[in-house]
Amino acid sequence: GQGARPPLSQPVCVLADSRGIAGGPEVLSCLRLRHGVTAQVCSLGACDFIVSNRMAVERQTLSEISSSVNRGRLAERVRALQGSFDRVCLIVEKDRTKPGEVSRVFQRSRYYDSTLAALIRAGTRLLFSSGPEDTAALLAELARVEQRKSNAIAVPTEVKGQRHQALQFYLTLPGVSYIAALNMCHRFSSVWHLVNSAVEELAAGACVSRPRAEEIFRCLRYAFHPDLL
Amino acid sequence: LMAAPMEGTPVRIGAAPPYGHVIVNERWRGSAIVQGFQGKLKAIFEEGLGLVDFHLSDHSCVLYVSESGLVAGNGYRRKLFQFRKASKLHGIIVVEKTRLSEQYFPAVQKFVVFELGLTLLPVASQSEASQLIAQLVHDESKEESRNPFLRKKAAKLCEPVVLALVQQIPGVGRVKALALLRHFPSIHQLSNATAQQLEAAVGAAAAQSVRGFFHTSLAPPR
Repeated sequence: GQGARPPLSQPVCVLADSRGIAGGPEVLSCLRLRHGVTAQVCSLGACDFIVSNRMAVERQTLSEISSSVNRGRLAERVRALQGSFDRVCLIVEKDRTKPGEVSRVFQRSRYYDSTLAALIRAGTRLLFSSGPEDTAALLAELARVEQRKSNAIAVPTEVKGQRHQALQFYLTLPGVSYIAALNMCHRFSSVWHLVNSAVEELAAGACVSRPRAEEIFRCLRYAFHPDLL
Repeated sequence: LMAAPMEGTPVRIGAAPPYGHVIVNERWRGSAIVQGFQGKLKAIFEEGLGLVDFHLSDHSCVLYVSESGLVAGNGYRRKLFQFRKASKLHGIIVVEKTRLSEQYFPAVQKFVVFELGLTLLPVASQSEASQLIAQLVHDESKEESRNPFLRKKAAKLCEPVVLALVQQIPGVGRVKALALLRHFPSIHQLSNATAQQLEAAVGAAAAQSVRGFFHTSLAPPR
């Protein structure tokens, strides 16, 4: 019931990719103004939004997802997200109609259904949105659900000076997302500290799962052999 | 408060349709969905499936929420909630999102995805549902390796990653990185090298850069 809900004290934070801004400025302004979300623009590269320490959100229009031309790129992107996030969510947004244009009826194809089926089987969560405002509401809800599960983004999103160099180094580590690298920047006192941490410390500091921490640990201790390059 | 008692069990566990078949709850016999399976999928009708409408495989099933069910109010919620409590099957909720029912869609999505953690797929009609279910069944029988969205677990060489990591150190390019790795083959060893050891390998300037990179204080210690 309503009474069981925790107080809305902590504002939630969402990271948005700087390249995605052109595609949807309304999503960002809606997140900030209507939902009170701290929406920070960063160079995420691999995904459109990060809503928690473990969840990435990709935004696709209905026409993009139902076009076979786009599949290779979409598949590559989803695989890349699964490489660095434990949860991957896809928001399928209805295409906007230009002023004066009659809203086209969506012709559902077998291709579209097979894409949905394959995405579900790959463990991707699907959400359906009627437009940018709806997308913002879904992002805010995802971030709040993740906050209730103690996975909220809880470090400063600005990185300056020496920390910026460390961030680039951390982003080069295998399976490390932008938010994991940010956590590393703010939760380890030096790069040496991180490199010399045990698996448990890595998992706790970067807010990643144990298997991911093990992968990072292995990479840091891996003995380079020039002949294998 | 207890939910109204159901006849039999809410879900029958372990229903496994053979290849190219779907197990269909008896109440769908003669429906447009089942007619749409013609030529794509063979239906096996069964009673006693409880809340489940279609079994796609031994671990996944479909529960159908019709337009009228959606418009009528929250009755569907109890059904889906009961299903969630009764089984660990992967439940795909197929919902009729029509011009009449679309205003209720955000609430259904919120309930199904955020509260129950189940999968939700909208369709515009029973014939669309038929196509979709046939595709879901078809996909269930496909090998995982043919799924373009699944990451392939291939053993990758770590050498390029380690080299790229060392090149992230300011003032260290490919040549110096390789020289460093010849003396200190892992990032861990490199981070623990003394100033003298580093100087012997790459000279004073680069040595200082490497030490500085690893040891500069980044965060107030907690």
